[in-house]
Amino acid sequence: MRRLLHIEQIKLLNYNPFRITLGIYVLAFTLGLIIYPAIDKEIPVISLSDLFRFPDVWLFLTWVTEPYNILLALIVIMITTKEFNNHTFKTQLIFGLSRTDLLLQKLLLVVVLALFATLLLGLTSLTLGLIYSYKLTFKIALENTWILGRYLVSSIAYMSMGLLVALLVKNTALSLLTFLAMRVFVDPVLFLILRKQEIRWYLPMRTTTQLTPLPNLIEIFEKKMNSPDSIDQSTLDILPEGLPAWLNILMVLLYTSLAIFFSYRLMQRRRFT
Amino acid sequence: MQEILSIRGLSKSYKNIRAIQNLDLQILEGQAYGILGPNGSGKTTTLSIVMGIIRQEGGHFSWFGEKPVAGQRRSIGSLIETPHFYPYLNLERNLRIICDIKGMPYGDIGRVLETAQLTERKRSRFSTLSLGMKQRLGIAAALLGDPRVLVLDEPTNGLDPEGIAEVREIVLQQVQQGKTLILASHILSEVEKICSHVAILKKGELLANGPVKELLAEDEIIEISCNNNDQLKSALKGSSLVKEIETENGVLILTLNEKVEPAEINSFAFDKKLVVHHMLSRKRSLESQFLELVKEES
Repeated sequence: MRRLLHIEQIKLLNYNPFRITLGIYVLAFTLGLIIYPAIDKEIPVISLSDLFRFPDVWLFLTWVTEPYNILLALIVIMITTKEFNNHTFKTQLIFGLSRTDLLLQKLLLVVVLALFATLLLGLTSLTLGLIYSYKLTFKIALENTWILGRYLVSSIAYMSMGLLVALLVKNTALSLLTFLAMRVFVDPVLFLILRKQEIRWYLPMRTTTQLTPLPNLIEIFEKKMNSPDSIDQSTLDILPEGLPAWLNILMVLLYTSLAIFFSYRLMQRRRFT
Repeated sequence: MQEILSIRGLSKSYKNIRAIQNLDLQILEGQAYGILGPNGSGKTTTLSIVMGIIRQEGGHFSWFGEKPVAGQRRSIGSLIETPHFYPYLNLERNLRIICDIKGMPYGDIGRVLETAQLTERKRSRFSTLSLGMKQRLGIAAALLGDPRVLVLDEPTNGLDPEGIAEVREIVLQQVQQGKTLILASHILSEVEKICSHVAILKKGELLANGPVKELLAEDEIIEISCNNNDQLKSALKGSSLVKEIETENGVLILTLNEKVEPAEINSFAFDKKLVVHHMLSRKRSLESQFLELVKEES
């Protein structure tokens, strides 16, 4: 395991496109710290900073940064297809890695990137929370941190799907396009077409985005206004739709396992010439 | 002698083309085994299968007498077709990856770079190397960890004459150290210079295999002409000196039996009172023998 990680480390840390994409990812996170408060000044009545207080900041930031996971999947696709283009899967096989090792290498990369992303999210949320919260107790600060676990699962899911696409398509540009098309076009369009059917909640990308749903903003703002005659939410019918949380998580885990299983099958059968 | 590689009934086809059919080979420790054949004869396919890059359709093979597993390949140094490394990494880092795969320390990198005369370029990116240098780096990678078996597929491909000589020298040294070598080549002289054994492939089939000396034995051929060629021809036919006699443009072409010197033919003619006025040694090149062997079957 450590050997595989070390090999991956030599490959990646010296690979400019990897460094740049990861840099963009980190920048996107930290830029948020500067940009959100700036936007805040231009919106009257409600204040965005309300969203940055504990414990809501965890949910809100997770929802905001969920699309960044696409970047992580793109990194995995880029790294994997490059191994095909450079014929380096072949080289590694010849010198003694097994086909399972090759897959394990990429799965380790997925887990490490997911942990990194989750850590980054955790630190960013913590920073914003500490800045904007009035009341600071341990209990309030740590409430809702469970969402980080979901974020971890969702980033692993994205990257596993990316890995499968990369192994299937092999070509870098085509794989990136395929994955992006699935995420921003095929899945959402199918979701619209299946408007009336329950099955739309089972689409792979949809279940993954549902892992970290939009928090109930109204409730958050209400808490602040704290007015007795506040709107009764239940009459508004904006309760989150979709699968029950446990089923949603189960579906994501299922899709992730399937992606890994088919990646394994492909890895065992591919010709690496 | 321990069995290094054993191949039984190996088959593989690409769509409609049969790359190799029912191939049997056995390579023992210390042999320098050449796999000789024209382009497209299945040499690379065979080596790719035994090195785990492609899957065979039929048959099986074993390394060191055991079922093939990835770990065995760590004690084999190999170069299949052109070497492929990470283009954006320098030579040293590329070789570090190989060391990590093989589970060995980085200490050997300096030695193999020196052997391949690439020490000066160790900090250059792989992509900046010339074709010949890339090939030499491939050899260097194969030599990492001083493996007991070398599997080389056309190692002198793309090299200039000087490079070819250097690579052959490196390979020859390995053979002299008692390493087992499996060398695929379409160049007969290469196999002849380096190998002790040879298997000749054509269209994926094994035409012949055995010790180089037996299989590619050089026949001594002489042209001869005397005052009465017909008489000489019939006299020689009854002797044990020649294998074959042909007539070509009024001269006799004799294929001598082994260990027969051309001088013996001369004295034989002299004894028969025939005066030889033309005699030319015409060693049949291995190249033409090889071509003949390959042609016979078509």
